[in-house]
Amino acid sequence: MQMRKVYNWQLGRNAAYVYPQHRPKKQWAMVFDLNKCISCQTCSLACKTTWTSGKGQEYMFWNNVETKPYGGYPMGWDRGILAKLGFQDWMGDKYAGKTLFEAAEKDEKILQHLAEDADWAHPNIGEDEVAATVNRGDWITMPHRIWMYYLPRTCAHCTYPACLSACPRKAIYKREEDGIVLIDQSRCRGYRECVRACPYKKSLFNVETRISEKCIGCYPKIEQGDMPQCVTNCIGKIRLHGYLSTPDKARKDNPIDYLVHERKLALPLYPQFGTEPNSYYIPPIHAPLPYLEQMFGPGAAQAVDTYKAIKDDQTLKGLLVLFGSLEKLLGSFKVDTNHAYGYDEKGNEAVKVPLTEPMYIRAYYDKKIKVYRHNTP
Amino acid sequence: MSGKMLFILFGIALVAAPVSAGEKKFVEFSSMRRNIDVSKVGLNDNVWKTAAPYKQPLQRQFLVDPKPADVGVKEVLVQSVHDGKYIAFRLVWKDAARNDNPKIMNFSDSAALQFPVKKEPLPEYFMGEPEKPVHILHWRAWRSADRKHGFQTVKTAYPNMVVDLYQFDYPVQGKGTEKTQAEKDIFIPGKAAGNPLSVPHKEIIEELSAEGSGTLKSMNIENTSGEAEWKNGEWIVVFRRPLAVDDPGSVRFKPGEKMPVAFAVWEGGRKESAGRKSVSPAWAEVKVEP
Ligand code: SF4
Ligand code: SF4
Ligand code: SF4
Repeated sequence: MQMRKVYNWQLGRNAAYVYPQHRPKKQWAMVFDLNKCISCQTCSLACKTTWTSGKGQEYMFWNNVETKPYGGYPMGWDRGILAKLGFQDWMGDKYAGKTLFEAAEKDEKILQHLAEDADWAHPNIGEDEVAATVNRGDWITMPHRIWMYYLPRTCAHCTYPACLSACPRKAIYKREEDGIVLIDQSRCRGYRECVRACPYKKSLFNVETRISEKCIGCYPKIEQGDMPQCVTNCIGKIRLHGYLSTPDKARKDNPIDYLVHERKLALPLYPQFGTEPNSYYIPPIHAPLPYLEQMFGPGAAQAVDTYKAIKDDQTLKGLLVLFGSLEKLLGSFKVDTNHAYGYDEKGNEAVKVPLTEPMYIRAYYDKKIKVYRHNTP
Repeated sequence: MSGKMLFILFGIALVAAPVSAGEKKFVEFSSMRRNIDVSKVGLNDNVWKTAAPYKQPLQRQFLVDPKPADVGVKEVLVQSVHDGKYIAFRLVWKDAARNDNPKIMNFSDSAALQFPVKKEPLPEYFMGEPEKPVHILHWRAWRSADRKHGFQTVKTAYPNMVVDLYQFDYPVQGKGTEKTQAEKDIFIPGKAAGNPLSVPHKEIIEELSAEGSGTLKSMNIENTSGEAEWKNGEWIVVFRRPLAVDDPGSVRFKPGEKMPVAFAVWEGGRKESAGRKSVSPAWAEVKVEP
């Protein structure tokens, strides 16, 4: 396949892609703080009840939450493609290996791992499975010897979408106004080239309609200036949604730019795949670094250190309390001594959150109704 | 890109059908004239014993990425008869497994015939080209099984799947529960969008037009009827249609004239679909007997 060169800032270099470089006016982006996800699956259900409750979508999760290292939906989606890609390396911040487009087999557009029917049939297999067995007398050290963490995932509305590039009939398009990637439901012919090609396995086949579907980035909400369902319904308040600039245009007061570019705390998921995914993760601080580096790239160590120091980091601490505190999309933010402020895209104040919640101490025994109070923070 | 494609195409055409003195010549077979009702001709009717099959070699699709490294079906036997009003094609090829039920990673066995809408100037044999459309008759095993057992649903594919409730599919009756099928279908995107793949059809053969690769379009007409059967590792499929119909985008056969034709076969068991297919290497020609 004759490939084009596109600039991929996540890899620090030009990389191969099927089409010439083109970036939308704005880019949909989602940030997840993995230190706080509790795998309650409220996000999965928020998406499901909103978008995928129909026939053929029974086992279809546009948003899913899996337990790493063993869990996955579809089963083994990441191990499958990583094994095919083989060992690759970074030279500092620059990717020295091959992307999936660069590693494509002869006559193919992209290197692929195919998930089979059984792989899709167990949406939360491996839940709470830890990475090693617990021995008698074990105690906890950092990073944990026995570890696991939850990984919530949606379509990453990639800058260079594998799904889009694989579709032989251009039924998949990336919107100019927000970078959302959509499958045209009247144009799709069910070839499943996108299902094969998406390394994140976020293009899915509907057996009832015999065509493919994917996360729509909640575009009807985005168009009204709201964040997606899986963000605003998150119980753990681990998510923030917004627009991401390219590194050269990053704005310090844009919450997403601040987390991704300015502080490099939120990192792309498997950047080495080469699609420039727009889901960014604050890595869990208790998991082994080599695993985190494989999943989030060479910035993982620094991100973990930054997160550990957050209690003395007024701006970051403030920004993190804005996560999950409103439905409106944030254009900018500000933090002062006691509060974090979020502003809508026009600059109007949309939310004001205290950095420290006020604490109330009540007596252990309530004389009026004659009961003891339990310690429930 | 298209220059390169043309060059390759030309090269292949040379191999498949030597050109003599600048005149394009294709391999040729006949549509025999028979005194029967071809509109009703069956899969194994006696008439097929009277028409010699033409062996069409097939090879991997070789023009557009992704190209399959190899394909399952390397040869298809083609026969054709007509009665002056209707024409029928009978295709027979070897396929060890029948693949006719939709699942997430199941692909349908299928076969297609392709004709130019206008013979002059002749479109590219591979899916036509802009302003020079081709007319495609596409049979899919999924549609044959739909006709036999009723439209196959997700429940047919996964009978043991678990689901609590579909939107508007209330198990009880009463005020507020009356919903039309269209209201229920809003939750089934392909149906709501009117995608031809998502709804049942009368015929097992879909008619499509294309003006180049990636431009395939369902024509929403059903002038081609057919039958298909898989037995002992072999598919037999019959396509039947009028020699000519009113539609300007459809192929028109005329007794005494030749019509270019190209073939494609997909082996579902090998996950063949779209460009991952077996194709005839160039246009062939069917000579419709006078
Ligand atoms: S709702 Fe939030 S905390 Fe719960 S599983 Fe989803 S991402 Fe994690
Ligand atoms: S995550 Fe997959 S489905 Fe989503 S845009 Fe990227 S390649 Fe396409
Ligand atoms: S962005 Fe919307 S459509 Fe996509 S996973 Fe989240 S809730 Fe579902």
